[in-house]
Amino acid sequence: MAVWSVIVAAARTRDRFAVTDWRGDGWRVWILSCLGFTVLFVGLSVYMHAFAWSAGLDATSPEFSVYWRSLLLIELVGVTVGTFAWWTWLVRSGRALPATVAFDEEVRRIMVVWGLLGATCVVLYFMASFFVSGDAAWHQTAVRDTAFTPPHIVMFYCAFPLGITMTVGTYLYGVTRLPRVYSMNAGFPWSFFLLIGASVTEMLQVAVNEWGHSLWIAEEVFAAPLHWPFVIYVWLAAGTFAVWLETLIRVLSIEKQIADQRTQAPQA
Amino acid sequence: MSARLETEHAAQTRRLELRAVLNRQYVYLDRKWDIVFFVSAAFVIAAAGDLTRSLFAGDWDFWVDWKDRQWWPMVTPFATIIIPSAIQYIAWVGFRLPLGATYTALCLFAAAWIARVYQWEAFVSYPFTLIWPASVVPAAVLVDWILLKTRSFILTSILGGIIWTFAFWISNYVSLAPYLQPSMFMGHMLSVADVLGIQYLRSQTPEYLRLVESGTLRSFLGETQYVALAFGSTVAVGGYWIGQAIGRWLAIWPIGRSIKGL
Repeated sequence: MAVWSVIVAAARTRDRFAVTDWRGDGWRVWILSCLGFTVLFVGLSVYMHAFAWSAGLDATSPEFSVYWRSLLLIELVGVTVGTFAWWTWLVRSGRALPATVAFDEEVRRIMVVWGLLGATCVVLYFMASFFVSGDAAWHQTAVRDTAFTPPHIVMFYCAFPLGITMTVGTYLYGVTRLPRVYSMNAGFPWSFFLLIGASVTEMLQVAVNEWGHSLWIAEEVFAAPLHWPFVIYVWLAAGTFAVWLETLIRVLSIEKQIADQRTQAPQA
Repeated sequence: MSARLETEHAAQTRRLELRAVLNRQYVYLDRKWDIVFFVSAAFVIAAAGDLTRSLFAGDWDFWVDWKDRQWWPMVTPFATIIIPSAIQYIAWVGFRLPLGATYTALCLFAAAWIARVYQWEAFVSYPFTLIWPASVVPAAVLVDWILLKTRSFILTSILGGIIWTFAFWISNYVSLAPYLQPSMFMGHMLSVADVLGIQYLRSQTPEYLRLVESGTLRSFLGETQYVALAFGSTVAVGGYWIGQAIGRWLAIWPIGRSIKGL
C-alpha cells in the first residue's frame, strides 16, 4: 500500500509504474459488481417502502400473495439458479485455463478478486446495516404474523443468500485462477473459511431467530440475547481483511521478483 | 568520557540505520490499490460496526427515551468500541496507520444516518427527535491519538476504554440534554424524552419498557451517570479486547494459513 511518509515519498521518485499498476479491466469488475448490487438492493428497498404497508401487514390476505409471496418465489429461484450457474462457470472455465500464469495476468486476476471482495462488502453492508434497520423499524412497529414479513423477504431470502453466492464465488475464482495463492494442494485457506463461515452462519441464524420468535418472544427488543448470535457473522467477516492482505503480499512478491529479474539481467 | 563516546556511537549507529531505511529499494504500488481497498473496506466496516451496535445496544441507540443515565453510558460504549478496536489493530499492524478507530467511527456514522433517514423516518415515519443516533467520532479520534502516542495496545485499552466512555457521554450529552428536561405529563413528572417515547406508538416494543430509567441507581440521585460512566469504562476495556481478538485472530492470524486435510 502507498503509505504517506518521507521514506515512501522518496521511494516514489523511483520506478513509478510497474507490473502491479493494473489498468482498465480491474476497475470494471469492481465498479460494475458494486453498482449492480447497490441498484438491486436499493430497488428492493423502494419496492418495500411502496408495498409493505399497503400489502404486507396481513400474511393471509390475497394482496400479500400477489406482492410478497411472488417476490419471495422470484428471489429464491433467481438467486439459486444464478448462483449455481455462476459457480459452475467459474469452475469449468477455470479448469480450461493454462496452469502457468504470467505476472501481469496474475496481478489482473488479483484485482478481480479485490473487485469481487468489494462487491461482497457491499452485500454485507446491505445485509448487516441497511436492511437490518428496515427490519428493526418494522418489527418494533408492526405485529409479526409470519416469518416471511416484507423486510424479511428482501433481507433474509435475497441479500443473505447472495452473501453466500459472493463469498463462495470469490473463493472459486481464487482457487481456479490464482494457484500461487490459493492452490487446492495447499489446503483450504483460513481466510475464506472464515468469510464463507460468516455468510453461512448468518443464514443458519435466520432459522434460530424465527424459531425463538415463534416460541417465546413475539415482541421485538433488538438488543435481546436471541439476536446476539447474528453478531458472530460480521465478526467472522474479518476474514475479508485476511484475503486482502494475503493477496497483497503476493502482489508485493511479484513486484520483488520482477525487480530481481531486472537487476540480474544486465549481469547475465 | 566513555559514556559520551558511547552516546555518540549510538547516535551514529542510529543515523546509519535511518539512512539505510531511506536508501532501501522500496516497492511502490499504485494508489489505485488504496482506493479499491479503502472504499471496499468502508462497506464491511460499516456493516460490522452497525450490526454489533444494533444487536448489543440497538434499542438504546434507536430511541431517545432509551438514552438514559443508567444503561446507555454502560452498554453503548461497550458495543461501539469492539469494531473500532479491531480495525485499529488491523490498520496499525498492517499499514502503520493510527486511523482505524476514526475510520470505523466515520463509517458507522454514515451507516447510522443513512438507516435513520431512509428506514426509520421515511419508512416508518418516526421523527428525528425520537431516533437520532449517537456519535462515537470524537471518542475514536482520541483513542487513535492514544495509540499513536503510547504505541501500546495495553495502554490504549486501559486509557482508551475510559476516555472512550467519557468522550461518548460528553460528546452526545449536547444533543441529549434538551430531552432530559422535566415535564408534567398526565399528572406525572417525566422527562421530555419519556413523553416522546409514550406518545409515538411502538406496538411491538414491550409496554413494561416505556420508562427505561427506573432502576435502583436512582438512590445515587444526581450521581447516577457518574457511577454508570465508571462502570461503563471498565466494560469498554473488555469490549476493546474483544475487538483486539477479532483483529488478531480473525483478520491477521489467518493470512497465508490453510486448513490441511479438509
